[in-house]
Amino acid sequence: MRQMKTNLKQSVLFAVLLGAVLVTAGTATAHHGFADYDMTRQLTVKGKVRTFQWTNPHTWLWIDVSTDKGTVIYAFEGMSPNYLGRRGWSRHSLQPGDPITVTYFPFKDAAKKGGTLAKAVKPNGEVLNNFVPAGAK
Amino acid sequence: MAKQLWKQFGRFAIVALASALFVSVTPAQDWQDYKRPAPTAADWAALAQLPDFTGVWESPLGGEGESLVVKPGEKVKAPTITRSSKFPVFHGPPPLPLTPAWAAKVADLKAHAGEDTSAANCLPPGMPEIMGQPYPYEFLMTPGQVTIVGEAYMIVRHIYTDGRPLPKDPDPTFFGSSVGHWEGKTLVVDSVGFSPATTIDMITPHSDKMRIVERFKLLDPDTMQITTTVIDPIALTHPYTTTRILKRHRDWTIDEYICEQNNRNSTTSTGKAEVNTTPPPLNGPASDVK
Repeated sequence: MRQMKTNLKQSVLFAVLLGAVLVTAGTATAHHGFADYDMTRQLTVKGKVRTFQWTNPHTWLWIDVSTDKGTVIYAFEGMSPNYLGRRGWSRHSLQPGDPITVTYFPFKDAAKKGGTLAKAVKPNGEVLNNFVPAGAK
Repeated sequence: MAKQLWKQFGRFAIVALASALFVSVTPAQDWQDYKRPAPTAADWAALAQLPDFTGVWESPLGGEGESLVVKPGEKVKAPTITRSSKFPVFHGPPPLPLTPAWAAKVADLKAHAGEDTSAANCLPPGMPEIMGQPYPYEFLMTPGQVTIVGEAYMIVRHIYTDGRPLPKDPDPTFFGSSVGHWEGKTLVVDSVGFSPATTIDMITPHSDKMRIVERFKLLDPDTMQITTTVIDPIALTHPYTTTRILKRHRDWTIDEYICEQNNRNSTTSTGKAEVNTTPPPLNGPASDVK
């Protein structure tokens, strides 16, 4: 129950935060806006971690997704290590081969698979959020 | 013949003298020959009498600083849901009071605006935008100087509080040239000399007359208020003042932020936003290269 409450609180905070990001895209996000991403839609996909780059100005996650037509690679852009490192993430958070469920805002370009990360959920239920207020995890 | 030579020499002498005067006068108006005395033990001790700004600060709500910019005395309005977005949307800062000529210029810029700014290519925003980043700032206080280290883009602002005047003819820079003085417990910072590459907000250019006055003060031990006034008699009908809040995090340190390390975003010369999603080779370096 406590977990559910926490999740709800996080969702609300996230929505508020994202609202702020949308209005002020470019400045508040530092670095860049969301022209390449459809921030009005969220999708979810399951796969296995291929590579996780703990780098500035953004972290990047690639996962291998099994489909009828073979493995498809999805790419996800995350906030910087500086930002995520203060919010419960570390460079060890995602290891190659880890099963992972990713919720994301998709690329507008349909040829590109993936998008901006919303959250990554591990099989044990651990949630790694991409946009989190300072101090919260 | 000799008379003509003398005449030529006379002209040369006048030009040479004028140049020499020009060279010797110009730097004196700026900071090149401002020699700060070595700090004494008393100068270091005097720092303890000032409000303590030292440490790492960030805008609340994960640093969404711009969304919290309001007029002094005005409360942040509750976010609203709009049809175009599933998410609550914050009211932005109050509009800039543009002069008619500047409003026309901004309308034209907006009509031809690119999808993203040059920040996507790792070029930092200038003043005042650089103070609204969703990343922390570290304040350092030393005799005659307050230094602000911005984590995003690893930027530094040097604010000289040693009594020197503003430079009269500074080279235009992203963050300008800044001097500060204390009015009671408030640090008042005056800055001039901004690069034309920088903007007042995300799109509005400033004129070469822009001057920025910032007032830094503590509202409580770990809350700082920064009131920023942009004065630009060519771009703005009257000074534009906004306020932002920073919270101190005693358990934080500033991290490295090398934007060029793995920047996969970019804007083309025509303003088109692009993103490179190519995965790195599996057997390549794990995390440090594109």
